[in-house]
Amino acid sequence: MPSRRRTLLKVIILGDSGVGKTSLMNQYVNKKFSNQYKATIGADFLTKEVQFEDRLFTLQIWDTAGQERFQSLGVAFYRGADCCVLVYDVNSMKSFDNLNNWREEFLIQASPSDPENFPFVLIGNKVDVDGGNSRVVSEKKAKAWCASKGNIPYFETSAKEGTNVEEAFQCIAKNALKSGEEEELYLPDTIDVGTSSQQRSSGCEC
Amino acid sequence: MIADGAEDEEKWLAAGAAAFKQNAFYMQRAIDSNNLKDALKYSAQMLGELRTSKLSPHKYYDLYMRAFDELRKLEIFFMEETRRGCSVIELYELVQHAGNILPRLYLLCTAGSVYIKTKEAPAKDILKDLVEMCRGIQHPLRGLFLRSYLAQVSRDKLPDIGSEYEGDADTVTDAVEFVLLNFTEMNKLWVRMQHQVSHDLCCIACESLPFDDPELRLAVGLSGLQGPAREKERRERERSELRDLVGKNLHVLSQLEGVDLDMYRDTVLPRVLEQIVNCRDEIAQIYLVDCIIQVFPDEYHLQTLDVLLGACPQLQPSIDIMTVLSRLMERLSSYAALNVEVLPYFLQVEAFSKLNNAIGKVIEAQEDMPILSAVTLYSSLLKFTLHVHPDRLDYADQVLGSCIKQLSGKGKIDDSRATKEIVTLLSAPLEKYNDVVTALKLTNYPLVMEYLDNETKRIMATVIIRSIMKNNTLIATAEKVEALLELIGGLINDPDESQGVEVDEDDFEEGQNSVARLIHMLYNDDPEEMFKIISILKNHFLTGGPKRLKFTVPPLVVSALKLIRRLPVEGDNPFGKEASVSATKIFQFLNQAIKLGQIPLVLNQLCYSLRFLSLSVGAFCLLQIIEALPNVPSPDLAFRLYLQCAEAANKCDEEPIAYEFFTQAYILYEEEISDSKAQVTALQLIIGTLQRMHVFGVENRDTLTHKAMGYSSKLLKKPDQCRAVYGCSHLFWLEDHEAIQDGERVLLCLKRALKIANSAQQMISTAQGSSTVSVTLFIEMLNKYLYFYEKGIPQITVESVESLIKLIKNEEPMASDPSAESFFASTLRFMEFQKQKGGAIGDRYEEIKV
Ligand SMILES: Nc1nc2c(ncn2[C@@H]2O[C@H](COP(=O)(O)OP(=O)(O)O)[C@@H](O)[C@H]2O)c(=O)[nH]1
Ligand SMILES: [Mg+2]
Repeated sequence: MPSRRRTLLKVIILGDSGVGKTSLMNQYVNKKFSNQYKATIGADFLTKEVQFEDRLFTLQIWDTAGQERFQSLGVAFYRGADCCVLVYDVNSMKSFDNLNNWREEFLIQASPSDPENFPFVLIGNKVDVDGGNSRVVSEKKAKAWCASKGNIPYFETSAKEGTNVEEAFQCIAKNALKSGEEEELYLPDTIDVGTSSQQRSSGCEC
Repeated sequence: MIADGAEDEEKWLAAGAAAFKQNAFYMQRAIDSNNLKDALKYSAQMLGELRTSKLSPHKYYDLYMRAFDELRKLEIFFMEETRRGCSVIELYELVQHAGNILPRLYLLCTAGSVYIKTKEAPAKDILKDLVEMCRGIQHPLRGLFLRSYLAQVSRDKLPDIGSEYEGDADTVTDAVEFVLLNFTEMNKLWVRMQHQVSHDLCCIACESLPFDDPELRLAVGLSGLQGPAREKERRERERSELRDLVGKNLHVLSQLEGVDLDMYRDTVLPRVLEQIVNCRDEIAQIYLVDCIIQVFPDEYHLQTLDVLLGACPQLQPSIDIMTVLSRLMERLSSYAALNVEVLPYFLQVEAFSKLNNAIGKVIEAQEDMPILSAVTLYSSLLKFTLHVHPDRLDYADQVLGSCIKQLSGKGKIDDSRATKEIVTLLSAPLEKYNDVVTALKLTNYPLVMEYLDNETKRIMATVIIRSIMKNNTLIATAEKVEALLELIGGLINDPDESQGVEVDEDDFEEGQNSVARLIHMLYNDDPEEMFKIISILKNHFLTGGPKRLKFTVPPLVVSALKLIRRLPVEGDNPFGKEASVSATKIFQFLNQAIKLGQIPLVLNQLCYSLRFLSLSVGAFCLLQIIEALPNVPSPDLAFRLYLQCAEAANKCDEEPIAYEFFTQAYILYEEEISDSKAQVTALQLIIGTLQRMHVFGVENRDTLTHKAMGYSSKLLKKPDQCRAVYGCSHLFWLEDHEAIQDGERVLLCLKRALKIANSAQQMISTAQGSSTVSVTLFIEMLNKYLYFYEKGIPQITVESVESLIKLIKNEEPMASDPSAESFFASTLRFMEFQKQKGGAIGDRYEEIKV
């Protein structure tokens, strides 16, 4: 088999609703930010080309709803992720406390082959709010959490001002690339394909 | 038909996935060897797996995601092909050779995406073509996923403002048209699922029969009737799983830069609402209206409120519009709360009256709307107006008024959830203003409470009191106190009781204690007003029966006593003797309050009524003590209260009242205090208090002193008698009152005490007991003598002192009792010390020959 060039990197952004997942993605991909709050429905992705070590990659960034109400189909899109970005709002303790849940939910649902070493990146967003005065989760606390989960890289960002967003995604891309997640190897047992599907689908031609 | 068992379904998914992987493998191999023809062949076969009818939406989504990932590779390959010189137009044609329509359309969308990227044709034309072509799939599940694929691949290729695909021919209007069209088609598919009998029905539809055909609708509807209820339930569950695919389009619209307020108001909202209203499907309506509210920004909602609200009455009458409207108001409330600068817009668009009207209309339209829904709506509206128009109390009152209109004529609410919601409703103003005084201004507030059952009234009363305590709200006028008492009536006078409904004892006590604490917050610096407040409280408490009085009267008495202390001395009373509040009046009140407790006493609940007196004594010190007090024997404490009151009366120069209190204290002493130890303490209190009284004339004073003397000599134990009697000596000699300086009687008193000490000694020696007690008594007597001797009372002679010292020295057991010995030694040291002082006192002590 020819060695496959990995050019597509799949990244999933998770976190409570309102922490700034959509804003981070928009800031990174489109260099745009809006103060307006617009809920995300279902899973949505944007892509961005990234240059890394002289090679071009397509970063496929999946933004999620964060509210169960708008995640009616489940999370099948987790599969094949190369990196998972956990986001919390440094001004909300609850969003920080929920990180464990998000991480665990991801590991269960995406079931990566090597969960111990699956690359996560943590982002503490909205550091700009009130000049940092309304902050309730300290950098130290966040870093301690990262350390306890196997040295997860940590970034503090402002999607609003664009602070550290580029750096965070550079790291995300790097980790996604390094990720041990190879596509599952598949070897066909028969050459003849193409007839079997008929039985499983409806009789009509659509 | 979808397999019923989840197990079967797993099998189907596994089979589909296996065939899928195999084809994907060959597709990839073809891609790796740049074989376009094979890549198309295998990808089409792979996509054929999506034609299955055997999977539930969840499992189908699983398969779809696999396809989605594979198609990304194909897309990259297509892109590379065009770079290598393959014409994208040809490619776009080529993919259409796939045998089955579903794989064909997936491939077409993928090629279309590449086509747009190459910019060889206007994006809008390609998009339009794709969205039209997708009509080929009328099977709801497959159609929905196909279109959601289209939505996803086109997501970043829409000719939005600022997008690289925007151009002369391509404008954001085209982008919006495209998404709207896709949305409309998806919603139709989604709604149709509800009426679909079996999945195979799609085939009829697929044969391009227009589904709008009324006959077909009828046929579908009829066969739908045959399906069991379970079938309907399953269908609805499946639809619910699929809803985000439809809603996603609205998300895409909201993310478009070009969808500004104008575009939203003029195109997006009307078109989306039109689709929602016309589809006449409950599940779709409730979900999509919620989507609109959540995905579009608050300022858009604010500016298009009439449109959105205007659509509500057009929705199916059975839908839960309440939840939707509540969410809208919640969103707007927090928007206003977080962005003060937008408040003027709320006023400008008259958001409040629009919402108020809309709610009125919705409620009107749904005649038998459950009371819970109506109350919830008003509760949200109230929260909204409190946040957005905190200064417009009239709005808040209006909401309460509308709520009453809904409640009226229906009696008390018996739905417990509705009741809870009313509590939420009524709590909202308290939480917002942190000040019950503001809530008291809402005239409809007490009227809403009328509809609550007694238990909830009590809960509400507790909530109100808690708010007052938490915020330290002072209720300063009689009028407000009156209004407040009406509100917390549930705790003050509970009809449940008379109806024999049992109230939990703990709850009752907690409630009454909270009322007791509340009294502290009812305060005015002006004695006139304060007296009014106290009188109002008294009148209300009287209606609550004796069971409550024991909690409520004590703090009231405390308040009254405090008021007395604040009154100027009668002569300087700015109100003059004629003033409406005077110490006399307050004392009358106090007496009344105490008597109030005496009625049940007379009527057989002796201890019971006295307990309240005991409490009030505790309140003198600190309110917290109140809680601990009920465990203390009551008559004793009641007795203290009388003395306290007497002392207060003394301060105000109210002789008859002070005398009355004393008399009451004496009665209690005689009738209730029987324990010898308690008697000793009580008597000490009597003597101490009486000593501080200056209000009494000779006659009253004599009577009281005489009685005290009598009590003293009647104590059980000789030493106690002795001590009490010599204590009485102080009653005849007040330092600063020349009128009360009677040396004769001081001496008489001391002599009598001495006599008792003597007899105590005799009694002890005959009983062969230790006589240290009597020695100690003698030493104590010596100290008393010294005290009066020092004052220069002529009747206390140096001889009497000397002989007392001699007597003590001769006492046998002195040597055997170290404590008596040291007591005596220190007395002698004291005398020496006084002598050293020199001056008049020094001279007096100089005379004593030890
Ligand atoms: N001040 C500030 N606001 C932000 C930042 N990131 C997001 N927001 C705001 O927070 C709200 C929620 O953001 P969003 O990206 O939709 O959160 P999501 O639900 O996690 O996707 C929006 O109103 C954003 O404007 C940030 O870095 N700073
Ligand atoms: Mg979001």
